[in-house]
Amino acid sequence: MQVRKQDAITTVAFGGGLLDYAATEALREAVRVADADEGVRLLVLDCDSGGDAWPDMGEWPERLRHRRPKGAHGPGPLPEQEAIKALRAFMKPTLALLRAKTLGLALDFACVCDLRLASADAEIGDPRIRQGRAAATGIAYLLPKLIGQAHAMRVLLLGEVLDAAEAKRIGLVHEVAPASGFAERAEALAAEVAALPTRAWAVHKLQVLPQLDLPFDAAMTHSLGVRQTHVIEDRAEGMRAWRERRAPEFTGR
Amino acid sequence: MSDESALVVQDDGPVRHLIFNRPEKLNALDLDQHARIKRAVETAATEPDVRVLALSGNGRAFCAGDDLRAEAPVGDDPLAGRRVELEVGAGPVLLLESAAALRACPKPTVALMHGHALGSGYDYSLSCDFRVATADVNYGDPRIHRALWAAEGWAYKLPRLVNQAVVAPIAYLGETMDGATARERGLLHEVYPPGADVRTEAAPFLRDLASLDAAAYAETKAHILAGGDIAFEQALGVA
Repeated sequence: MQVRKQDAITTVAFGGGLLDYAATEALREAVRVADADEGVRLLVLDCDSGGDAWPDMGEWPERLRHRRPKGAHGPGPLPEQEAIKALRAFMKPTLALLRAKTLGLALDFACVCDLRLASADAEIGDPRIRQGRAAATGIAYLLPKLIGQAHAMRVLLLGEVLDAAEAKRIGLVHEVAPASGFAERAEALAAEVAALPTRAWAVHKLQVLPQLDLPFDAAMTHSLGVRQTHVIEDRAEGMRAWRERRAPEFTGR
Repeated sequence: MSDESALVVQDDGPVRHLIFNRPEKLNALDLDQHARIKRAVETAATEPDVRVLALSGNGRAFCAGDDLRAEAPVGDDPLAGRRVELEVGAGPVLLLESAAALRACPKPTVALMHGHALGSGYDYSLSCDFRVATADVNYGDPRIHRALWAAEGWAYKLPRLVNQAVVAPIAYLGETMDGATARERGLLHEVYPPGADVRTEAAPFLRDLASLDAAAYAETKAHILAGGDIAFEQALGVA
């Protein structure tokens, strides 16, 4: 698990290895730091991983000692869930890169991001059911909402591993880039997103995500509340640039 | 007093057309226009002879979005007491309520779009049962590119119309779509040739909707709208 910050972009790379508790804790911490850092406007998750390190996830995090379950089903997915929840609650833009393998738990993390860019040679799927176990780390909620129930059942229940073209066809990834030019395309897309008025992006997420689970009237009231309690400073620059017919320069505040 | 010609209400048999008519502004919406739309939708909902409600625009566009140069209404505005007086400007109460009234209309509702169909115009289209457009439509919500507020209901409606994966490019990246792209993403029911008159092209579809049993349509629509928010067992209870 590598974390690096360049300009306004924090990138967390899974590095091809299997994800264990140390990795999920490191991811959770990277999200916390990126959230607190005003200069960070985009979190990129490089989701190259074959999944979790089941059945040996390493040391249970000390921080969660009091919540370690006992019993035949093992220690439980709490540390993974906490990393997923941190990402879900992170309102700045998130971009998942899917290359080589993005399987199992790595797919959970990719699916909780706002955008997914795949390399043409990526293998994408969730083989956990083929290992005789159930995914309990968010994907059962996320996937039907992302790609519809019909496709979600196929991915989760058959454990089918998709190529990038098929993942694009069913909407699981937004874009596929050729393997040879993947790094360049990822960099360009990240730069494009990081230059957007990212506070406005956050205000959009702040509406979309909770309102997935709200009835209509409650959602409308929620939008009013969001509008009254959040300020987008870039809005003034957006209006100025529109009047002056030039490209806006946003700060992300 | 506002200019009532800005929204033309016109019946074609059982089809009631609400036609945005500020072509010099590409039918950009000010707060008065939102209030007019709300009144016209509520009226149409109660008139038995009106079987279908169709929204369209005169001139080069369906609707370019909110009129950013418009003055906020003052004085006898019935919602004056509910205006949001923060630095974020006038609240989205009016648009939110007019778009909600359109969504709640028990009759078939269709957005007929051509040219620009952006921002709050796009938001109105999401409140309709069906969306049709010419292939050369410029459709979507680019407000994020100006860091503008967008808080009138799309965040609820869009992920229920299309899969959430499609929400990101539209809502977060502010990508606008042509007819083919919007159809592929599931947002458009029919796409007409570039430059075609959308009201003429859509006439057979609107007649077909008008021929449906009004009570059955209203009941089915109510179940679909409620069904997105309730558990399966509850949904069976509704039916």
